[in-house]
Amino acid sequence: MKTAQTIYQEGSHRWVVIARDPSKPDCVIDTNEYLVSREGDNLLTDPGGSEIFPAVFAALSTIVDPMSIRYLFASHQDPDIISSLGLWLECNPDIRCYVSRLWSSFIPHFGGDENSLTAIPDEGMSMPLGSGQIEYVPAHFLHSSGNFHLYDPDARILFSGDVGAALLPPEEDELFVRDFDKHIRHAEGFHRRWMGSTEAKLDWCERASRMKIDMLCPQHGSIYQGDDVMRFINWFAELPVGLSTFRHRR
Amino acid sequence: MSNKPTHNTSSGELAGFVRLNEGIKGVVLIAFQINIMALNAILLAHRAGEVALGFGVISKELRSLSVELTGLMQELSNDAYLAVNLISDLLRQERRYRLLKKATDLVVNPSPALRDVMLRREEEFSLITHRVRDVRLRLLDRLEDARKLCQFGTAISRSAKIEAAYGREYGRALAEVSQEFDQKIQNILPSIEALCTGMQRR
Ligand SMILES: [Fe+2]
Ligand SMILES: [Fe+2]
Repeated sequence: MKTAQTIYQEGSHRWVVIARDPSKPDCVIDTNEYLVSREGDNLLTDPGGSEIFPAVFAALSTIVDPMSIRYLFASHQDPDIISSLGLWLECNPDIRCYVSRLWSSFIPHFGGDENSLTAIPDEGMSMPLGSGQIEYVPAHFLHSSGNFHLYDPDARILFSGDVGAALLPPEEDELFVRDFDKHIRHAEGFHRRWMGSTEAKLDWCERASRMKIDMLCPQHGSIYQGDDVMRFINWFAELPVGLSTFRHRR
Repeated sequence: MSNKPTHNTSSGELAGFVRLNEGIKGVVLIAFQINIMALNAILLAHRAGEVALGFGVISKELRSLSVELTGLMQELSNDAYLAVNLISDLLRQERRYRLLKKATDLVVNPSPALRDVMLRREEEFSLITHRVRDVRLRLLDRLEDARKLCQFGTAISRSAKIEAAYGREYGRALAEVSQEFDQKIQNILPSIEALCTGMQRR
């Protein structure tokens, strides 16, 4: 089963990561889900694929009543992000899922309809959560063409979806990055192949470098904190990505 | 009776209804051939005049039989399509049920609200299961009708053979046509029987 671990707490405002599922089938990629909770208002980021729903649900239940989740945020449309939507709606038909306007008519293949999906405009938007606000920050083409990150300015945490993701071997799957140079090797191949646009990448790096971020939380792999956040942004800015970085023709 | 979703039954059923639809296509093709053949036989009987009056009546009967059979097959096909839809839905529900059940089992103290969700799932599931059962019963009724129709067809195609014997100079032509009628009807019967057993086995 996955475990839930609090990574930020200030009064009733907290971030909990649900990660590392030793019992998940090998064919399914491991994912991190984050619960953002403030004064009882609960939001879950990239709730995950339907196959890992039981593990996420159970881990979450050790922290809050999973039926109390009011919002879901899907950074983009991938099955490992949001194919569990139908199951969440079974539990709470009033749940609202925030996703790029590009995908609001695609995601109903996983469940939900116009009543359960809120389309985020390309320029992003902010939304109240408890007594605070969270922001949906554009990160288009990284990797999805309609892609957002979630920023919590009070906690200074950026949930960055697939950006910052690393495919870690089991012996190195720590929750927080400890040795950046060692860790980033497991992120390199992923970013080169998944992130298609240098222009989008540089635009994001420029914006991210101006944000106050204490923790950068990806959907796969370890969390970057402190100086490793800026280290990651600089590393990503330098990294060649996209078509030129791999051979696809004979 | 347990209403708990079981995946294997539904996917097996889905395959059964898909096969049924394929079988129906075969019957419709033969019914179409009978229709054309009967039309030609009516014209032939018309030319033969008085000696083939009985043959003409039988040919008309066979022609309306083929029309009725085609209609019946169309209804069967609609029901098979409905069943495929229902079972696809059932398969989706089963998957959801399995995952929700797993989640409930993992939670230490499932809330009453979560138990309600599971109960609703089971009710919904049993509702669809019943609808599938109703469609199957209706399908079996229609297949039974089709079988009776074919048995009637066999009987009248035999009468056509007898009538052909009175056809004098048209006797040979009429005998050939009645022979073909008989063959076509004999071809349909095993298909209908196969469809019946395919459906009953479930
Ligand atoms: Fe993705
Ligand atoms: Fe991903």
